[in-house]
Amino acid sequence: MIELTDLRTMDMKVVSLGSHPGIIQAMLDYDFLIKKQQPSVIAIIASGRKSERYFWGESEVIIPVVSRLEQLSSAQREKITAVINVQSARRVLSSTKQALECLPNVKIITVFAEQTPETHSLELAHITSKRDVLLIGPSSVGLLVPGYLKLGAIGGTQHKQLSAAGIFDAGDTAVVSTSGGIVNELIHTVTRSGLGVSFALAIGGDRFPMVTPAEAMLLAEHDSQTERVVFFGELGGSDEYEIAKLREERVLTKELIVYIAGTVAELFETPPQFGHAKALAETYDESAAAKKIALSKSGAVVCEEFANIATVLRERVQHERVVTTATIGERQKSIITSHLSGDKNDDVYLLGRELLQTVESNGVASLVLSMLLGFQVESKRAIDFTDYVLRLLVDHGPYVSGALNTIVTARAGKDMVSSLAAGLLTVGPRFGGAINAAADNWLRGVVFETPAHQFIEDFSLKGGIIPGIGHKKYRLDLPDPRIQALMQFGGNKNNDRYLYYARSIEAITTTKKNNLILNVDGMIAAVMLDILESELGYTPEQLQELVDIEFFNAFFVLSRSIGFTAHYLDQRRHDEGLFRLSDKDVRYLE
Amino acid sequence: MPRRKISEYRSKKIANEALDLHYVGWSIVDDGSDSVDYSAVKGYKSYVVKVDQAVKGRFKKGLVLLDVKQGDVKQSIEKLQYEGYRSFVVESYVKYQATAERYLSLMQDRVGIHLSYSAQGGVDIESKSDTVVSCLIDDMTSWDDLATQTELSVKQLQTLVETFKKNYFVFLEINPYVVIDGVVTILDCAVEVDDAGAYFTHAWTEDDVRTAKSTKATPEELAVRVLDANSPASFNLSVLNPNGSIFLLLSGGGASVVIADEVYNQGYGNQLANYGEYSGNPNSHEAYLYTAEVMKQLLASTSKQKVIFIGGAVANFTDIANTFAGVIKAIDEYSAQLKKQKVKIYVRRGGPRQEIGLARMHTALEKHDLLGGVYDPSTTITDALGAALKGLKK
Repeated sequence: MIELTDLRTMDMKVVSLGSHPGIIQAMLDYDFLIKKQQPSVIAIIASGRKSERYFWGESEVIIPVVSRLEQLSSAQREKITAVINVQSARRVLSSTKQALECLPNVKIITVFAEQTPETHSLELAHITSKRDVLLIGPSSVGLLVPGYLKLGAIGGTQHKQLSAAGIFDAGDTAVVSTSGGIVNELIHTVTRSGLGVSFALAIGGDRFPMVTPAEAMLLAEHDSQTERVVFFGELGGSDEYEIAKLREERVLTKELIVYIAGTVAELFETPPQFGHAKALAETYDESAAAKKIALSKSGAVVCEEFANIATVLRERVQHERVVTTATIGERQKSIITSHLSGDKNDDVYLLGRELLQTVESNGVASLVLSMLLGFQVESKRAIDFTDYVLRLLVDHGPYVSGALNTIVTARAGKDMVSSLAAGLLTVGPRFGGAINAAADNWLRGVVFETPAHQFIEDFSLKGGIIPGIGHKKYRLDLPDPRIQALMQFGGNKNNDRYLYYARSIEAITTTKKNNLILNVDGMIAAVMLDILESELGYTPEQLQELVDIEFFNAFFVLSRSIGFTAHYLDQRRHDEGLFRLSDKDVRYLE
Repeated sequence: MPRRKISEYRSKKIANEALDLHYVGWSIVDDGSDSVDYSAVKGYKSYVVKVDQAVKGRFKKGLVLLDVKQGDVKQSIEKLQYEGYRSFVVESYVKYQATAERYLSLMQDRVGIHLSYSAQGGVDIESKSDTVVSCLIDDMTSWDDLATQTELSVKQLQTLVETFKKNYFVFLEINPYVVIDGVVTILDCAVEVDDAGAYFTHAWTEDDVRTAKSTKATPEELAVRVLDANSPASFNLSVLNPNGSIFLLLSGGGASVVIADEVYNQGYGNQLANYGEYSGNPNSHEAYLYTAEVMKQLLASTSKQKVIFIGGAVANFTDIANTFAGVIKAIDEYSAQLKKQKVKIYVRRGGPRQEIGLARMHTALEKHDLLGGVYDPSTTITDALGAALKGLKK
């Protein structure tokens, strides 16, 4: 099992399985108050969103969310040393097992859920008995190592509570409790008495806690920071006898101050079940009275009244403790966040610099690509490609659906924005919107190493056309000159693996029909993937994220907006009046 | 939430199936509806009728009726119903020699599953504990040897252990069973389950759980059970002395026991009216409903001196302002009657938004002239409770 000394020297990085915003916020508040540079929570596993926003002091911070642990990069997974599991009891076994499998460097896991089956806890405890992992819970509010780590709700979920608790610096008294509420009560009892907490651990009130009270005592015994332990136990189970035995064997030597709850059970006719799962004494050995006697015999200071704990602790105070104070001021959540632009020191900032600086150091293409990606792009190759694509897609004649709609709208006497919108609203899967779908295909094909023939078969099974393949006009023997032109952007550091893949698809489709060539959409998608990967270091996961947010369609939309606007102006200049199809243009089929 | 006993009927059904035996028995549950249907009970000359409610020492208490004739089954059950019991099991009556009775049990603990057996089973097994042999079930288990000792087959034993595991049993006791001419018959069987396993098995459900006390539940206890069943937070309430003086409204599994302990330890145990607690951050409406039940119980007590102690430790995540909003609403509602009975209310609590919660509580209690004392965590639980108990006669 891990030792506390190790925890104090590590920069703990935490993943939360499930999201409990109150607890996560409190952990971040604690990090901030003990002056950590970065939040300890680096990822959340939950569904339906890509990030959650939390306060970092009075400011805000974004924590990434993924739906499965495997979606974190291996670098991130290696970084993670602690897990807080706030998922439901049903999922405790599977999710904790998975965390143990996926996270090679995990040292602590706490499980929050109540109602975890006993055998599930035992199975997890059994797995970790062979690893250097401290597994806390179930039904645990977590572990607090003052000055270093707050893992869970322990100590409170409000920053004012944390500030008032005197838990920012380490003391010499460990707190171990089977009750979450009492662990917090005892933390306060220790700090109010003038001592400090070395660590506080909520065992959880289950019959077979994964870390047992005796193991918690061993943690304290091996911790040079800890002088004494305050322990809260209850009737039910036999964990306390293990502690008494270890004390008698002198394996545990530090002072132990104990309260065992449940003497009131003597008032009941049939043994009552108290709040915690384990809190039921069927036999005398399981009663609070019997446990107290055993612990007392082993030399522990057994408190008959709860208030005695405070009295005993006050006697242990040798000198006045200097307590670090830290607070967080008033704060308010913003309605939206932006990574692109906003006001700073009364100036408008764009992409991290003052507006004019950004504007003056960028050409149009470089500004477009930087804005679309959300950061300042420096790669000349990426910028040149963007520039070329923006020019290439500007117009393809009045024949195409979008331009025609703009023209029709302009001739109906509508304004510029309406006419432009009419054209833009035509952009979709069959017109102009295929770049993103093509990028999705090439990306998946390469990542999953789908053989080209398999890829095509999958499409024909679905009966769909392949985005990025096929042209109305151009054929093998009449090649699209734009494709030739775009070839100048090949030769990327990744050996053009996306373009190569697209070409391998084309090699098969053109044998079926000679106009099933790689078209402009498919070509742009492939080259853009290659450039983002080679020039800007995008990983396949990051590229997939761009696909998911429809990034690849932006170039067509932007460029063609110029074309549509131009068609609007062109129509207005030589206004021919309302457009109408003639009788011969429409055939009525009865 | 914890380990619970399930009915003998269900236990036997599952155990017989595991041993590949045929079981004939009927579960009769008085669910409060007009009439109980006995028509299924037929085909045998004589029956045994038992209270099926996790009551210990049923034989001694006369809750097992042997050799009941077909026509008398209804009457026998009605007699037991009159004593307040509501769950019964009826089986055909077969007579065996006590010397043939055997004992077998399985028990889950931290180490694993332990199997215990004895050739001398029966109701007085505890006095024959020296005949009981126990072993841990693991890879080293000698099944052939166990089969010889228990007179069950290896397959029966292994299936029983498998059944135990997969249905989240924590304890199973077959005591006694008899083996006559190679035929195994289970006479009595008790099973305790880990009720957290309910989601993962279909062998038993919440309906099979039996509690010894279910007969005498007060309306307040019943209302709290309903509240508990319908909320993600947890609630419980046990009435100890309907005419007690000290009424507890507690939060937190650990703190609630500490506070009840302190009442008992300070010598006021006989005046303690109830034990109960809420935890897991209930919303304010739930806190209101729970408080109202405690108030009803208090108002019905004949004691001349009554105090309410609303307390808990320093909560980690339960919102004090929210939960207290519900508690205050109930106090507002019952304030006139509480004042009339000269009830004093003492409060000690900490946790998220405690300043707001405690301040509002103080204002409300003062307004209704019910104020005993309102304390934050700078006053210990013991001292705050001491203030509440001070005026009471022991």
